[in-house]
Amino acid sequence: MSTILSQPSKPEPQLSDQDLIQDLVARLAEAEETIRAIYSGEVDAVVVNNPSGPKVYTLEGADHPYRVMVEHMHEGTVTLGRDHLILYANPQFSKLMDMPSDLTTGTRFDHFLQPADARRLNTAIEAAVAHGYGMAELELHTPARTIIPVRLSITPLDVAGMQNLCVLVSDLREQRRNEAIFKEERLSRLILEQAGEAIVVIDPAGIIVRRSESATQLARRPVLMGPFDEVFPLTVAGEAFDTARILAAARTGAPISGVEVEMARPDEDASALLMSACPLSSDGNELLGCVITLTDITGRKRAEEALASQAQELERSNSDLRQFAYSASHDLREPLRQLAVFSELLQVRYQDKLTGDAGVLIQHAVDSAHRMEGLLKDLLSYTQAADAPQGAAASTDANEVFRKTIAVFDARIAECSAHVDCDPLPVLAVHEVHLTQLFQNLIGNSLKYRSQEPVRIHISAERMDGMWKLAVADNGIGIDPPYQRQVFGLFQRLHGGGKYSGSGIGLAICQKIVQRYGGRIWVESELGRGSRFLFTLPGEKA
Amino acid sequence: MTPDNFDQLSLLVVEDSVADVFLVKEAIKEEGLKCRIEVADDGEEAIRILDSVDSGSQGPPSLLLVDLNVPRHDGTQVLERLRRSPRCKGTPVVMMSTSDTPAERKRAFDLGVTEYFCKPSSLAEFMELGKLVRRLLEEEHGAAA
Repeated sequence: MSTILSQPSKPEPQLSDQDLIQDLVARLAEAEETIRAIYSGEVDAVVVNNPSGPKVYTLEGADHPYRVMVEHMHEGTVTLGRDHLILYANPQFSKLMDMPSDLTTGTRFDHFLQPADARRLNTAIEAAVAHGYGMAELELHTPARTIIPVRLSITPLDVAGMQNLCVLVSDLREQRRNEAIFKEERLSRLILEQAGEAIVVIDPAGIIVRRSESATQLARRPVLMGPFDEVFPLTVAGEAFDTARILAAARTGAPISGVEVEMARPDEDASALLMSACPLSSDGNELLGCVITLTDITGRKRAEEALASQAQELERSNSDLRQFAYSASHDLREPLRQLAVFSELLQVRYQDKLTGDAGVLIQHAVDSAHRMEGLLKDLLSYTQAADAPQGAAASTDANEVFRKTIAVFDARIAECSAHVDCDPLPVLAVHEVHLTQLFQNLIGNSLKYRSQEPVRIHISAERMDGMWKLAVADNGIGIDPPYQRQVFGLFQRLHGGGKYSGSGIGLAICQKIVQRYGGRIWVESELGRGSRFLFTLPGEKA
Repeated sequence: MTPDNFDQLSLLVVEDSVADVFLVKEAIKEEGLKCRIEVADDGEEAIRILDSVDSGSQGPPSLLLVDLNVPRHDGTQVLERLRRSPRCKGTPVVMMSTSDTPAERKRAFDLGVTEYFCKPSSLAEFMELGKLVRRLLEEEHGAAA
């Protein structure tokens, strides 16, 4: 049993020599009694009340082994007196708090706590007093401002009628670190397991040691601890793409990225997969295995194939249609031409013998044949309009094409005193023949559909959405809004009765050409207030 | 001296359309030419005639009028045979065609034809063929007296 003797500091009154001797004798006797008590092991510690506060001096005694154990135990231990005063702290606690042991003793324990934790300590102490044991997990703040999570195990300590407390302080830092690592590891595992991609980790022997759920779904069988090559029999162009190959690449440190592989499936078509493999190495560069990612692209590939096949079918069908239109327009012209010539021959040769309106009827036949021939000729131009000329898509200077177009219309421009001009125009990534057709059709239309006023035609250009937007504006008769889309249709004409010549092919050709280059064409106009034809074409690549 | 109707000369017309053969003959007649006209309605027949000329069985034509688009050995092969013929390799050739594209014209001149005649749909223009034939014959055989 341990006892703590309290040694009060006594005042030094003014005494006579006799009294002084008696006092010294009494103090000597007290000291001798104290030494005897210490020697006999009746006391373990002496508390000396100094002016700076009480101080505990521990003594070796009969329970020496326990003391040694407490002094050297891994946990911190403190004895608390009234008001949480630390009466004793073992070296481990002082070390934990990074304080000299003589300063730890005499400090109030709650000095190391935040208010909330101080309340927790009180609750634990109340439990200890009431039930013989109290526990609290809280944080100690060292003088050096380190925060240490600890668990306090508190038991009451009744020594010589003094209600003290024995507090075991367990450092929880290591445990918390382990908990954090565990949590992180669990998160990593969850991420891997729940990843949308099929991910497996193989060891250097090619055994699957980790896998995502998606990998199991892709394999349609349990995959963990299975040999990768059996679970995922991969091939590239009929040749096995196995772990020997994957690990060989991994040993060179080179990742395999996005290789298209096939995975044979019993009783069904092989799956198309995209495979990536990344080596897993230790710090010492020892190969620990590989992380392999498999993405099922079977659906995507089938869709792509279907799309390619559709595109091919469409191209074939378009080509057939072009061929048909070409043959129709070309071959039909032959008999039609003969029909026209023979009708004329009939008219010329038998002019004198024709009675009534026979001559007029023959003339109608000739005119019809000529008109139909014209239509077929236009249809032929239309089918060939956007065909690429030989050679690469050239850079065409629109200013130059404008100049040449004006030269073509020289006579007509002079005839109607037209004023045709343009802003500086760009260089376009189109074939010259196509831009020429565009300018000829649009400027030709502006000259044809003129109003009473002197003709004015202006061409401008500006940047729009990475393309060039060109505008051919005139002061002609204009187009009623309801018909503005219709004018780009094949053989669409807004004026009958032979008022304006033409078969209604020009704007259809313009539209076809512009669309060939990914552009569009439209018109802004009001009846009687001129038209502004706009179209977009790609500019010359920088 | 060659008479102005060139009645001593003969023309070879390679054309499968009966209507066009009729019009060609009309144009020549209209121009007052009286040359003999031999017609081959396919490429095989045309080559047979050239073989016959080379073997001396018949005299050489003074001019060929060829539609390239004829059955059995097209006009191209007829022209190749013509260029190999010892007796006819220098004979002028008028190519007759329905289409009038620059590509078609280039193809014709690459084959070495002398003139290109686009078959027109107007009678008056078709009759121009007669004038063309006269000009070529005059160039080859001298102007008529």
